[in-house]
Amino acid sequence: MVSAIYILAVGLGTAFLLGLLRDDWRAGAYGVSLAALALMSLISAGWVWVMAAGDGRAVEILTAGTLPPYAINLRMGLAEAVLTLLINLTGLLSAVYLRDTLFKQGRRALATLLVFTMAACGIVLTRDLFNLFVFFELVAIATGGLVLLSRDQRALAAGFKYLVASQVITVLLLVGIIFAYHATGTLNIDGMAELSARVLQGGALAFFLMFIAIVLDLKPFPANGWALDIYESAHPAFSAMLSAASASAALFAADKLLLIGGPTWLPVATGIGIFGFVGANLFALAQTNDRRLLGYSSVAQVGLVLAVLGQRDLLGDRYLFIAGGILLAHAVAKAGLYWLSGLIEGRELKAWSALQGHPILIFAFASFIALLVGLPPFPGFYAKWELVIALAGEGRLALLGLILFGALLEAGYLFRWFGQALKRERSLEPVAASSFKRAVILSAVAAGWGLGYIWGALSPNGNLLLAVPLLFALVFLALEPLSVRVKNSVAIVGMVAWFLLTLPSYDPLQLIFAAVMLLGGALVLLASYQTQGRRIGFYPSAMLMYAGLAMLILAEDAFSFFAAWESLTIGSYFLILRGQRSEPHALSYMVFSLGGAFLILAGFALAAGGDPLFSLAGLAQVAAPIAPWVFLLLAIGFMTKTAAVGLHIWLPGAHAEAETDVSPMVSGILLKAGLFGLFVLLMAMGGQQLHGIELTHILLWIGALSALIGNLMAAFQEDAKRLLAYSSIGQMGYALFGLAMMNHLGWLMALMFVINHFIYKSMLFLSVGGIAKRTGTRDMYRMGGLITLMPLSFIAVLIGIIAMSGVPPLSGFGGRWIFYNAILTADYRLPMILIFISGPIAFLYLFRLIHTIFLGQLKDEHRRVKEAPFWLVLPQMIFVAFLMVFALVPGLALRRVDAYISQFHPEGALGWEGLTITSAFGYWSPISIMIVVGVIFASLFAWLLFVNRKAQKVKQFNIVFAGERPYRPETTHFAWNFFAPYRKALGFMTEPLVERFWAAVVDVLHASADLLRRLYTGNGQTYAIQLLAFVVVVYLLRTGL
Amino acid sequence: MAYIAMATGFVLILIGLYGALTNRNILRMIVAFTVANTGVNLVMVAVGYLHGRTAPILDASVPVAEAAERIIDPVPQALVLTAIVIGVGVTALMLAYAYKLYESKRTLDISAFKDLKW
Amino acid sequence: MIRRLFVTLLLLGLAGVFAGLVVSYSPDETLNLSARYYAEHTAQDIGAANIVTAIIVTFRGLDTLGEVTVLFLTAAIVGLVLSHGRREGGGSGRELPPAGELLGTGTRLLVPLILLLGAHVFVNGHLTPGGGFQGGAILASAILLLLLTDPLRRISHRLITAIESTAGLVFVGIGVLGIVLAGGFLDNRILPIGNLGELFSAGAIPIIYSFIGLKVGAEFSSMLAHLSETEDL
Repeated sequence: MVSAIYILAVGLGTAFLLGLLRDDWRAGAYGVSLAALALMSLISAGWVWVMAAGDGRAVEILTAGTLPPYAINLRMGLAEAVLTLLINLTGLLSAVYLRDTLFKQGRRALATLLVFTMAACGIVLTRDLFNLFVFFELVAIATGGLVLLSRDQRALAAGFKYLVASQVITVLLLVGIIFAYHATGTLNIDGMAELSARVLQGGALAFFLMFIAIVLDLKPFPANGWALDIYESAHPAFSAMLSAASASAALFAADKLLLIGGPTWLPVATGIGIFGFVGANLFALAQTNDRRLLGYSSVAQVGLVLAVLGQRDLLGDRYLFIAGGILLAHAVAKAGLYWLSGLIEGRELKAWSALQGHPILIFAFASFIALLVGLPPFPGFYAKWELVIALAGEGRLALLGLILFGALLEAGYLFRWFGQALKRERSLEPVAASSFKRAVILSAVAAGWGLGYIWGALSPNGNLLLAVPLLFALVFLALEPLSVRVKNSVAIVGMVAWFLLTLPSYDPLQLIFAAVMLLGGALVLLASYQTQGRRIGFYPSAMLMYAGLAMLILAEDAFSFFAAWESLTIGSYFLILRGQRSEPHALSYMVFSLGGAFLILAGFALAAGGDPLFSLAGLAQVAAPIAPWVFLLLAIGFMTKTAAVGLHIWLPGAHAEAETDVSPMVSGILLKAGLFGLFVLLMAMGGQQLHGIELTHILLWIGALSALIGNLMAAFQEDAKRLLAYSSIGQMGYALFGLAMMNHLGWLMALMFVINHFIYKSMLFLSVGGIAKRTGTRDMYRMGGLITLMPLSFIAVLIGIIAMSGVPPLSGFGGRWIFYNAILTADYRLPMILIFISGPIAFLYLFRLIHTIFLGQLKDEHRRVKEAPFWLVLPQMIFVAFLMVFALVPGLALRRVDAYISQFHPEGALGWEGLTITSAFGYWSPISIMIVVGVIFASLFAWLLFVNRKAQKVKQFNIVFAGERPYRPETTHFAWNFFAPYRKALGFMTEPLVERFWAAVVDVLHASADLLRRLYTGNGQTYAIQLLAFVVVVYLLRTGL
Repeated sequence: MAYIAMATGFVLILIGLYGALTNRNILRMIVAFTVANTGVNLVMVAVGYLHGRTAPILDASVPVAEAAERIIDPVPQALVLTAIVIGVGVTALMLAYAYKLYESKRTLDISAFKDLKW
Repeated sequence: MIRRLFVTLLLLGLAGVFAGLVVSYSPDETLNLSARYYAEHTAQDIGAANIVTAIIVTFRGLDTLGEVTVLFLTAAIVGLVLSHGRREGGGSGRELPPAGELLGTGTRLLVPLILLLGAHVFVNGHLTPGGGFQGGAILASAILLLLLTDPLRRISHRLITAIESTAGLVFVGIGVLGIVLAGGFLDNRILPIGNLGELFSAGAIPIIYSFIGLKVGAEFSSMLAHLSETEDL
């Protein structure tokens, strides 16, 4: 392999050569520069290959034919090779991106770009302190030049502020270097590291000055106004270089300095880093300018990497994997986002709505955001997993918490931005059409996915990009040009095939969940046949969610469980976001879900005790002092998905605003993921006590309250889909209650709810969706009398509410029966009463569904309404059939599960004799119940027909709207605010206290961000003062500690 | 001797920084930074000084064999040369910027360039 | 006022750090590790009488290459910044009073001498105090003198750039030759190191330093020329 010094020589030589070219020979100069950058990239790539294929031992490069420390030496190792490759590729791609600008500006600009790239590589390669300084100055000066490539006039002032700051940094760095030299007699970094003790005694102050100067080159929060101004005003291609190339190089320099500083200075790096990560992410919340927002995000990510550098003592040989994963993911994503921003005319976040109608660019946008947040299957995900496990294993919990909190803030503003781009009114400004620029962006996307693959291959936890379900979901990206019918069929076949393939490996519990999620999912997908066109974006998202669910069920270790959990979260987020008015709801879903996911991550990390390969079965071995905390974290995490009261505010909007066929997916199927998690948790850990409080008892209360509040809220809704959504909160409350009872029947009942809730909620969402589609409204009081026009929908709703309300003869009754048996065995009286009360409340809202929509007066505008489309009705009818069968022979599904649960709760198993089921308190014979109810129903119906045989038929519209005013029906319609008296009595319980609480949290965060960011006054001198203040404060804190 | 030079250097740095951080005029800021840079250079040279020795040039008065006992530390001298040149470069660049800034707003007051903030 | 107070306080803090450095500073009695090596090995390894030059051009040649690049970069950027949006033929509208007789004659007399001195300084960089940077700066002072005499004089940017680029390429080229022919990048022993104290000694150092001198002179001249071509505002 050619010596790495040629990277520098080629860069410099070409920069000098450009001066010899004629000024008007622009294309030639540009071509030569590109060739040089390509050559530099090639050399780096060659070294990456050598290092990865060989033993990875670093190669020393001598200069002047003299050994270090007497002459400057360079080093090329794996990290250096990867970083120089990153830098050179960023330079190359930015140069391609900047083609027009560079053509206009000529060879001076080209030379500056070459020197910038070369110098950033120099920072990475050199092992000499003063040489490091020289390269830093080169980068700073080149930055001063490249900032001016921008069309933005304000870039001039930004460049000057930058130079002012770099002058101050220079002073500190030089003083530090010379005194460090005095203390050790060498300028060689490794030589100094050997004499580390001497540096830290006699030269402690010198080291401090060097270290703080390099840290300042990382643009640490909050002494970084100068850098943010550059990020905002520079040409996006240059911001990409600044964020990807020069920040990475500076981080590597900080890493080298920490070799000298040793363990004493590691905590300082961590402190500065994590402060920046949280602070910059907080400030970013208040940003509306896209490039400045990205600048804040860069500062934050660099802070995170610095914090990781400070943890190198505990990361051992996984250090490069973790720090590198986060760093590279950030660099690629940030460069990509900056390049993408160059295609968009406006600078408001909302201006990114111009991307609508460009699915490939939206895919790029989504990929970059996922890279940045560290979602699977990208490198940051693997890195964060190992980092968090290691931190928890060592008990560095505060740091762990701050990292997760910062990451959540970051995800919050990034996904808010993504939602705005997708859902806001499409910006009229066109997206720049340059094919060069698009090619550059797409290569960043490819790099991101490629890195995801590599990190997966390097991870001991296995490569997610080789997981069949995930690959299947990704295939749909390639299938996008096909029509819905083809894609839908592929999806259904795929899901059923996967179910059959994995069938042998399920235990009975997993089988139930797999049947609901995969077969049930395939069934719900039938409804998707009714959509037309290509439905871009739907299938990859839906399949990602199903892939996550499929992997979740089969997960055996904590990592795959968590990866599956995040996959299904992302997929469902994209699905929910597709709804017409779902932007805010999708966001709150994402934030709650990620928050929950981070709690789960923290819980696993705490339980794992430093073992990244921790298996789920290991949860059972977690011992006393941590066990209840693990339990608590995991339980809360899972309850964000089941929307337990307090964590439920995302659900109504998300489920109600989703598309017709998406609502059943996210309600009937997705919610079960949370229940599955709770099952896994309770099976492994059982009950736990914290300070003498039985934690399952708390869950019991939460379940009961969720049931009560959910049902109550549902009763007061006017919007039919919202009603169903709130009812889900209540239903999940029942299931949670059952689980938390920690006895045989309780668990059986929870499983009953898994099946039942899936069937009737999917069915109801489909029929209500079909009705809303035909009538054009979801408000119940705008409907009425649809029974004759939509008879099949009516049957579905009727059966659905019978099943749901738990009256005989359908399966809901079975659920209730087990439930009542179960609570008779438990001794928690008060929550039991609550759960009893919520039963009748469910009647209230269910009654409205049938009464207001199908009975009463038909509205004039609905006279020509037709039955819902065939593909919506078909799955409903299948569900009806299922309900009937399940009502008749519940043993089909429950018997094996009952036996399975006996492993955990041997007492209280049911007796299964023939078709009769017996418990300690009585028996349940589904078939005889069905017969009895059938007979009663038939005789009543016959009697009704008999007494009404002489009734005269009247055309409904003869009686002129039956006293309703047709316009503004909500003022007079009897169905509007139907339960007003109950609301008067019980309304206090439906006060949106929880919503207000979370809104207040968000407000406080935003308001403080908005207030505090005024720190950045825009005055370059103030920035320099802040920089010095940062130095002094760090010094005081350091000496004070 | 070395102490005096070093202390002077540090004082120059502080004076320079004070000037750069309190003067609003951009040109004055640039001049103040050159003062601070000079201070840095002085400190660097002072660190390399050894009492009673001479410049690191081998000639009749400093024979090769006795060089190690006769000369001062040559490294800071080499470093300071680099530092000076880099300082010149940055100063020139800042001057060019000052010119353009003045051209854009007809003022040299640093607080007038606050279009970018927060 | 508050700003001044605050800055004063901060600088007091910084002064505290500096005071700490001064107090804990103890001058060396003997040369340290690196300096001793240079004192003992320069003559035989590098062959340069001026040890500082040996360090600058060879031992720490990469620094110097970077340093030259700083000037190159600055010159390029100053050109980029100042040529931005400049009106063609600017300055022609100005009428300046002619330079005095003294200045004019003095310039004619001095410029060749200054150029000669500059060349002398960088050619002898390995023997005497001085070298490429010093020599280059002296060269540029000749240009400054020319510009002072006649501010409207146009210096050929093409010539300057050509010198600058050629010198830079030669520097990099010699560095690469070091890898091919000797022990590494910028190794000066691609040419015989000769006898200590002679002009043709120290291997490639005189050549490198001469080109550095030319390059630095060209770069300073270029910056001066660009700055002098700006219009009065």
